[in-house]
Amino acid sequence: MGVINFIIENILTQASVTIALIAMLGLILQKKSTGQVISGSLKTMLGFMVLSAGSSIIVGSLTYFGQIFTEGFQMQGIIPSIEAINGQAMNELGLGRDIALTFLAIFVFNILIARFTRWKYIFLTGQAILWMATMTTVFGYFAGLRGLALILVGGFIGGVFAVAMPAIAQPFVRKITGMDEIALGHFCTIGYVFEAGVAKLVGEKGEKKKSVEDLKLPPQLEFLQDTYLSVMVVMVPLYIITAAFAGEEFASTLSGDTNYIMFAFLQSIQFVVGVYVLLSGVRLLLAEIVPAFRGIAMRLVPNAKPALDCPVLFPYSPNAVIVGFITTTIGCVLAMFVLPVFGLAMILPGMLTAFFAGGTAGIFGNLTGGRRGAIIGGIVHGFFITLLPALLVTAFNSMGFVNATATDVDTVSAALLYAWLIGPLLKAF
Amino acid sequence: MRKREGGSMMFGFGRKKKVKEQKRETTDSVVLTIERKEELLRTLSQKKEEVNQVSGEEQAKIYEEIGLVLNELGEEDHAIDSLEKSIEAKKSVGDGFKTLLKLYNKKRAEAAKVNDEESLQKYLKKMDQLMQVSKDVTRGVR
Repeated sequence: MGVINFIIENILTQASVTIALIAMLGLILQKKSTGQVISGSLKTMLGFMVLSAGSSIIVGSLTYFGQIFTEGFQMQGIIPSIEAINGQAMNELGLGRDIALTFLAIFVFNILIARFTRWKYIFLTGQAILWMATMTTVFGYFAGLRGLALILVGGFIGGVFAVAMPAIAQPFVRKITGMDEIALGHFCTIGYVFEAGVAKLVGEKGEKKKSVEDLKLPPQLEFLQDTYLSVMVVMVPLYIITAAFAGEEFASTLSGDTNYIMFAFLQSIQFVVGVYVLLSGVRLLLAEIVPAFRGIAMRLVPNAKPALDCPVLFPYSPNAVIVGFITTTIGCVLAMFVLPVFGLAMILPGMLTAFFAGGTAGIFGNLTGGRRGAIIGGIVHGFFITLLPALLVTAFNSMGFVNATATDVDTVSAALLYAWLIGPLLKAF
Repeated sequence: MRKREGGSMMFGFGRKKKVKEQKRETTDSVVLTIERKEELLRTLSQKKEEVNQVSGEEQAKIYEEIGLVLNELGEEDHAIDSLEKSIEAKKSVGDGFKTLLKLYNKKRAEAAKVNDEESLQKYLKKMDQLMQVSKDVTRGVR
């Protein structure tokens, strides 16, 4: 009895152990050898520890950024980074175990919904499921849910999103790809459908509708070639300009013996390093779990459509990706200046979201509204995907998150569901 | 729940969806005429001779053409092999990429139906790799 209590209170409470056990379950269900089960489980545990290390690096940089931004601009500057949110939730806030179990629950509910309803989609983008698990767990916890209820509600909501989002996108995906065998598994779908709607309203119609694919656009910009380079391109000028506005006197109190501008530069690189380490941890963590559970899912629902990551659509409309990226960035920058006028935080632009979500949204905008639809739809989309995360900033601040907000709008919508519906309902009863 | 244009509901609760799905399944198998088959075989032997005489981008293009012909002839495994060689020689997201994605998905679905875990994982991994190719090409990574 004492041994069991020891295991429950000291070992199973450790998030890294829970995650390793989930991986172990998946590997055993796949009938892997003992060696593979042990090494896979240990690698998963290692992935969680690496993720935690990355999170600590990010938090250090964001804390510094928050201080110089507030000093320089007299308001809170928020960096949109689902990675930073996930890292802090799993590590600093101690929700790692609940997030891991919710991650598993989302897979299970996805399988159940696909198996027993006509919505036959299996969501294969593991990283997106992890972000959804993070948001449902964080906001479920904020709403007052704990333990099994937290995991099951989060798993159910995540599972519904994992099926509903591909289903909502499918009429568009069918037209974009010319086939029905593949679906879209990216938790920014509400934004895509929103842009499609705006583009249909304001875009070109009938014979006047011209596609952006008929245009000859300049070749891709070099800085987009690497994820970390893309983040650096925004972070370095952002930190340096902010430090300049904060002033030498204040900024030097934070930089010690190092020149305050140099320190700002190093801190911006530190943010990128933190993201690099965290994402390496995420990849290691998911490397065993995702193949195991998506294999099980596909075998249990063999006639389900695989919902793949957003690059699946890029080949069908490559110019629209570039137009979408540029116009979404414009929309994000507009929102950055407009939202504080209405009392919301200043959300700084996120390059990765602008490229992947903005690019994909551009494909939807071009489909329903041609060139004008893609351009106007893109700008409105950029505004929309900045507004929704801005609504969560107060909640994130009160929970102890440092100067960050989430990005992917479907995960933000799930969080708003908790904040505006589930939380108040629970308080009422 | 509001009805969309065209009469079918967004979440597929409309009556028309089942009929549409049945129609889509039957149009996948296209019957080749004898003339078309002969034309394809001629193209195939010609391209197979050319492919070993060139390298780099040109070779990638010819492997892609061979792969597309093999796919139309119904030789899926050989088509996959050729299209993979094309993308290895030069990453691209043209017809070859799209055909390869379709073929991988078909193989994945077949493996799932017969509970073949090894093949299922193999083709899921290949689809992951295609996603990376798509990302790389769109971002201009050589």
